[in-house]
Amino acid sequence: MRQIFYLVRQNLKRKPFRAWMMIGGIVLACATLFVAAILSRGIQSTLQTARERLGADIVVVPADAREEALSALISGSPTSFFMPSSLEEKVRTAPGVQQTCSQVYLRSLDAACCVAQVALVGYDPVRDFTINPWVLQKTSEPLQANQLVVGAKVISALVGTPAKAIGQRLMFMGKPFSVATILEPTGLGTDYTVFLHMDMAYQMTQGSPLYPVPVKKDQISTILIKVADGMAPETVAANIEKNIPELKALTSNQLTRSFSRQLQDLVDVLFVAGGLFSLLALVLVGNLFALSVRQRMRELGLFRAMGARRSVIFQLIILEALCIAGAGGLLGVLIGFSVIWFGKDIITEMIGNMYMWPGNPYFLKAVLLTMAAALVTGILGGLYPACRISSLEPYEAIRKGE
Amino acid sequence: MIQVEALSKDYKSVRVLQGINWAIEDGAFVIVTGRSGGGKTTLLSIVGGLTRPDAGRVLIDDTDIWQLSEPDLAALRNEKLGFVFQFPSLIPTLSVLDNVLLPIAFGDKSPNLEDLKFATSLLEMVGISGKDGQYPAQLSGGQQRRAAIARAMIKRPAIILADEPTGDLDEKTEAEIMDLFQSINGQGTTIVMVTHALDYAKIGKTYTLKDSHLFPYEDSEASPRDLTRGGELRHDA
Repeated sequence: MRQIFYLVRQNLKRKPFRAWMMIGGIVLACATLFVAAILSRGIQSTLQTARERLGADIVVVPADAREEALSALISGSPTSFFMPSSLEEKVRTAPGVQQTCSQVYLRSLDAACCVAQVALVGYDPVRDFTINPWVLQKTSEPLQANQLVVGAKVISALVGTPAKAIGQRLMFMGKPFSVATILEPTGLGTDYTVFLHMDMAYQMTQGSPLYPVPVKKDQISTILIKVADGMAPETVAANIEKNIPELKALTSNQLTRSFSRQLQDLVDVLFVAGGLFSLLALVLVGNLFALSVRQRMRELGLFRAMGARRSVIFQLIILEALCIAGAGGLLGVLIGFSVIWFGKDIITEMIGNMYMWPGNPYFLKAVLLTMAAALVTGILGGLYPACRISSLEPYEAIRKGE
Repeated sequence: MIQVEALSKDYKSVRVLQGINWAIEDGAFVIVTGRSGGGKTTLLSIVGGLTRPDAGRVLIDDTDIWQLSEPDLAALRNEKLGFVFQFPSLIPTLSVLDNVLLPIAFGDKSPNLEDLKFATSLLEMVGISGKDGQYPAQLSGGQQRRAAIARAMIKRPAIILADEPTGDLDEKTEAEIMDLFQSINGQGTTIVMVTHALDYAKIGKTYTLKDSHLFPYEDSEASPRDLTRGGELRHDA
């Protein structure tokens, strides 16, 4: 086998342009497939995490504010929409609802009064079951009136260095707050949101130029629902919408699905491109190998004359194909990884805040699958020429090669 | 000993060899002549296990080589036969020394120090010592042919089959190469050579291939039927 490797190496050295053409085709296919696989999984992981961290099975919003609500929930756009808080009681008694809590959505001013324009969300630290559990994991006490919980991605914009954020004083609408804790990234609007005590949220709108009519305590923006065990959120949501027409009930699946569709389209395009490139690479490798074998027919016939068995000739060609495919696959993974690693910010910019690293085990799996795809392409590309040449009689190969 | 019995071969319905009966004793120097396209190379490649005949048998040391399995036939080519072709047959990506050692690589073992020494001595014998690290493109036609002869001898084969080994060489080099073959034959190796160069007919027993039949050269004007009818086996040394 060492001798076969040596012959393969020498032959590849002889035709570097042809070898690099084949490697290039495989690199293109593998890099695209690898990027598509990592992005796809990254988005799936993000959606899963987002669903888990949303904490609620259903988010109920005013029917006429559906789009605004989606924008706030998904991307953290600063916005305001309200409904009477009395609706929460109606929702709480709806079939299948186990628990509810509410939040109020405000905008801050991007002016001297405030550090930046961000979405401000007031929540009840006693009743809330969406933000509170995460806060209590990090701090021993529920949120105080003068404290803030800050989203993972907005913290840098507010205080500069996240490491020094805890305890930092921030001004919002003329009122001083200190940062109690920072939330883990969710991939959702919470990453760009500042959470505060619900009472403070109401107080802050008094005298604010943004809210000429202050938001009253009987107004809320969203009702968050935890459904009873064994109940399907979709059924509960449909029931709420049917019985309370002024409300729109969005399940966590709907929420994540609505913004993942576009991203999935992008990933689908990448997979299709990767598939096409793989096909192209297969044709390229197959043709170049067929050409190479045709050019080397006399040489391979001579090997047979010198005592090489058919299997040795077959191994020689397949090994050469595997070397090319392996090199192409490895380079493809490296280039794909570089694209993802160095283009992280661009990808995040392109697909919103939905990109999360899919985790090392999946990364390893993607590397192995990409390499396997490369090797299969190489084997398939080399198979026909290998079978053809090894089936010829030595003299026939020599004669055809002349 | 090589024995050929009732050998026939067609190429695309053209009869190239018909009913050839032939015997070559160990240590013989046999030359086959004939017009171009007359089937000389085909005969040699059938004897060398490179082309399957349509009919007949080839026995080398009483083994019917065309009854052997593919690996066994490959092993026979590797162990017992050495080939020198009419075209430059060195592998361009390998050095001269690697080319010479190639049949060993296709055998049962990797080349060892002893093989290396033998290869070097062969290169010296064929007159191209010092060229072992060079590549075929750096050698002249004659030097390439000498390297190919050294390669044919690396496994110490009992038989060397040479197909027009001097076809594209100048007269001086041709004479040197033929001397080399004579010297190899002098060491006991059977040489079967296809050539146009009738000047060398005196070296060994010469045959001519005409109208798909093989005759001793001196009988070549005789009717083919006289020599092959009845499948008589001719023993020549």
